[in-house]
Amino acid sequence: MTSRSSRKLEGGGRSARPLLEAFKLTKTYGTVQAVRGVDFALSENSYVTLLGPSGCGKTSILRMIGGFESVSSGALSLDGNRLDETAANQRPINTVFQNYALFPHLSVLENVAFGLSYRDVAKSQIKALAMDALKTVQMEAMADRRPRQLSGGQQQRVALARAIVNEPRLLLLDEPLSALDRRMRKDMQIELKDLQRRLGMTFLHVTHDQEEAFALSDQIIVMRDGRIEQQGSPEAIYAQPETAYVADFIGGAACIPADVIVREETNVVLKSAFGTFTVPSVPSLSMGGKAVLCLRPEQVSVVQAEPEGKATLKARVVHQVYRGSDWLLECDCGDQIVQVLHRDTPPAVGDDVILAFDTSKVWAAAADPRVATLSETGAA
Amino acid sequence: MRRSILSVGDWLALPVVAALIALCCAPLLILLAYSFFQVDFVTISHDLTLANYAKIAGSETYRSLIARAFGSALLVVALTAVIAYPVAWFIAKRVHAAKSTLLTLLLVPLYSGDLIRIFAWRVLLGAEGAINRSLMWLNVIDEPLSGLLFSPLATHIALTYNYLPFMVIGLWLAFESLDDRWLEAAADLGAPTHARFLRVILPLTVPGLVAGGLMVFVMVAGDYLTPQLLGGASGITIISAINDLFGTAFDWPLGSAIAWTMLSILMLCFGLGALAIRRSSLVAEDV
Amino acid sequence: MLRRDFIKSAMAGTALGALGPAARAIASTDILWMTWENLAKDDYLAPFLDSRDISITKTFIGTDDEQFAKLRAGGASSVDLITPGLDKVEYYTASDLLQPIDFEKVPNAALLYDTFKATSLGKVDGETYGIPFYWGINPIVYRADLMDEEPDWSVFFEGDAYNGKLAMRDYALEGIMIAAMYLGIPEDEMFHMDDKQLAEIKKVLMIQKSKLRTYWNSIGDLTNLFATGEVVCAFSWVPPYYDLKAKGIEMGMAKPKQGVIGWCDTIAVPKGVSGARLDATFELVNYLLGEEYGKMLAVGGPYAQSTSAARDLLTEEEQDKIFIKDLSVMDNFVWKQNPPRYNEWVALWNEVKAS
Repeated sequence: MTSRSSRKLEGGGRSARPLLEAFKLTKTYGTVQAVRGVDFALSENSYVTLLGPSGCGKTSILRMIGGFESVSSGALSLDGNRLDETAANQRPINTVFQNYALFPHLSVLENVAFGLSYRDVAKSQIKALAMDALKTVQMEAMADRRPRQLSGGQQQRVALARAIVNEPRLLLLDEPLSALDRRMRKDMQIELKDLQRRLGMTFLHVTHDQEEAFALSDQIIVMRDGRIEQQGSPEAIYAQPETAYVADFIGGAACIPADVIVREETNVVLKSAFGTFTVPSVPSLSMGGKAVLCLRPEQVSVVQAEPEGKATLKARVVHQVYRGSDWLLECDCGDQIVQVLHRDTPPAVGDDVILAFDTSKVWAAAADPRVATLSETGAA
Repeated sequence: MRRSILSVGDWLALPVVAALIALCCAPLLILLAYSFFQVDFVTISHDLTLANYAKIAGSETYRSLIARAFGSALLVVALTAVIAYPVAWFIAKRVHAAKSTLLTLLLVPLYSGDLIRIFAWRVLLGAEGAINRSLMWLNVIDEPLSGLLFSPLATHIALTYNYLPFMVIGLWLAFESLDDRWLEAAADLGAPTHARFLRVILPLTVPGLVAGGLMVFVMVAGDYLTPQLLGGASGITIISAINDLFGTAFDWPLGSAIAWTMLSILMLCFGLGALAIRRSSLVAEDV
Repeated sequence: MLRRDFIKSAMAGTALGALGPAARAIASTDILWMTWENLAKDDYLAPFLDSRDISITKTFIGTDDEQFAKLRAGGASSVDLITPGLDKVEYYTASDLLQPIDFEKVPNAALLYDTFKATSLGKVDGETYGIPFYWGINPIVYRADLMDEEPDWSVFFEGDAYNGKLAMRDYALEGIMIAAMYLGIPEDEMFHMDDKQLAEIKKVLMIQKSKLRTYWNSIGDLTNLFATGEVVCAFSWVPPYYDLKAKGIEMGMAKPKQGVIGWCDTIAVPKGVSGARLDATFELVNYLLGEEYGKMLAVGGPYAQSTSAARDLLTEEEQDKIFIKDLSVMDNFVWKQNPPRYNEWVALWNEVKAS
């Protein structure tokens, strides 16, 4: 996590207290619990991503922080002050909406200047500040256009300018890149990250795209079914997913169900349908519990003979996808598909192969309680 | 123009459109021609003259009746707008399952016919009507308020009631296409409630307001039955005056001239309305 | 619809269409009569049709103006018999649409009441173009239970007792005639008033307006206003008097001494009718002025025929109902005429209403 201090924001140096804290934050719609009592904290000058599939509650969290939804129970605080009792228009927080929500009846400049009239800014200053913000996103040439006359990427920049011109304590971005094409998305990712660094603001970005989350974030909060599955730096989340769900969601690891038969300090011994393996473990696993053995495609290789010091699996190639620099093979180990990255000429579909992996590089994660029952029956 | 060749559909539509235009325009053009003629007892002289228009311009009565028609229309537009705004908002934004039911209910009075509605107001506002009786029973008044019925008040109440649905429909459509995120964005940017209304809701519903307003305006300006049956001794309208001229007075030329004067003013209003919608820039402009 | 069915229906329609004129042609002469629906009821006409080789096709009108417009548009041979108001005949003659009545063929015309024989309306250069057919009066009708004494025209112009409870028909001709009668302008001057007299009329009409609850346009509406007590006294037609009396409301009907507005519709023959059709038409005219039709109209209408043909066949009560028991009422009659400056009358009437 970056520790660069903010130039613009007051109290940027106070790293002791987080900028925003959520405490048992809950959102209920009728009988549906969208957010189930989550706790998290955002620090100053950081780029944080709420990552998860649609319906996981990430947008509800964003909307509660923005003030567009009430908090059902729990609390939010900003700079130590209770936030959830403040009206949306009183919060020092601005949002870049999905599809941007630019005012169609106002020019680009008027859109950007909109928020300034409710801040302590002299009238004569408003236009200059708005133009500055437009310059920041290289949109000053379009100041007199209407939003309808802009491309998606241009609207995106205007929406950004409209939000940052108010110098919010926290900038919320709701799937801001989802309406852009792939190429544009890549460019905007770089610009967003760069902008966050330059402004020293905290960005909270909601996305379902893990690639986007990794490209942007200092910290990722992975969500699922209204709960936080794991939070941490991208590196930590990638290297050590704590649950089968995260392992699968991030990087597409195959998760082989297993029982923990020995618990050591950093390792566990797992017993699975394919054999017994000693592998590194996340702290949450305990003796006799259910776990999964996580195998990433790049951690598995096809071998001719059983190699020294590596674990092996017997499998059959069921599918192959050419990806330019390599092939992605799907291999069936018997009720379990394992993906393998392969650089050379691959075996043909239908071939029996031996898969090998280094037990010190793979790891064990907590089993998903809902998948566990399935895998038990599968493994039995 | 994307295509230079008419499609089959265009060819099929062409005669219908042409017939419609002919049927709509022909009577109006005949009326226009008549407005430059003169009448002598039952003979219409076809020498072209502006005398009819001069007569209208010189007549205090016709001038004031025309002014009154448009004044009334504006007043009713304003009243319906104020009432329809929350109604349309409610239907568009707060009702989900019952939306079509509510809209149908809103239109039910329209199916009952002008006269039924007018007589319903008589029953309500009359000396022995529901309102007077309740007020007397409550001892608020000693004798019936005669000004309730057969007064401009009664006329404008009924006109507002009659044409409210058109304003609601116009505004409802505008509210349906008013994205809630614009309001959230305004709040997000710090705008308090009244500013969200004035700077976002109002300008973005202007097309609905203009569309509904024009409908109401035209219909109120053309309604002579309601003022005649509820307005009492001062219930005369420019339309009933035109009616007199075509009927008993047999002065078709003057009647045509007044009708065209009204029509010209209405077309001017339409032009301004269309301009207002365009100026609000919610109509797509080519990039 | 299946194509076959469609063809069948289309053929059936064509066949019926072809049959129509043939069916009508069974009677040798067909008279096309444009008139009010209540004058051409089938039972009124049955005795005429039963004994003759004539049939009648009826076209109904809603207003006098509509009749005039139709005839002008269709031409003087499009219809055989029309029913214009006595004061409107002038329109038709000025447009050269009518032919004179041949009294040789209408013997019942000899029974016309004197007032109809004497009137100059409906006549041009001594020839009669519209022969008076049936008539009535437009009296003052009032709620006898809510008024102390029988009113006359002055009730619409003087005093405060009935302010806001009076109604006047929205009709320039009658409205101005009533004002003229109130001002004592004699009948022979009434329709030729000069600017000064019209200014006087306007002045009193302004006073009248301030006393009115409303101007009425349909007699059903006025009946309603009487019933609910919104209006206690109005220049009216006769029907509300009987209708509301029948409902148990104490009603009064006043025929002011200053003059009673009488109305009369005529029958007139368009110019293009000739030959056997013309003979048949005059035969019908004669029947319409005769005793059989007169009695049925008096009982069924109730309206008075313009001849005395049926008078002796009616009971006193029936006579009273149609104002022919005491014929002296006709002495006070002021028949509606078409004022030469009628456009100015309409303008004046509108000025008063718009003020």
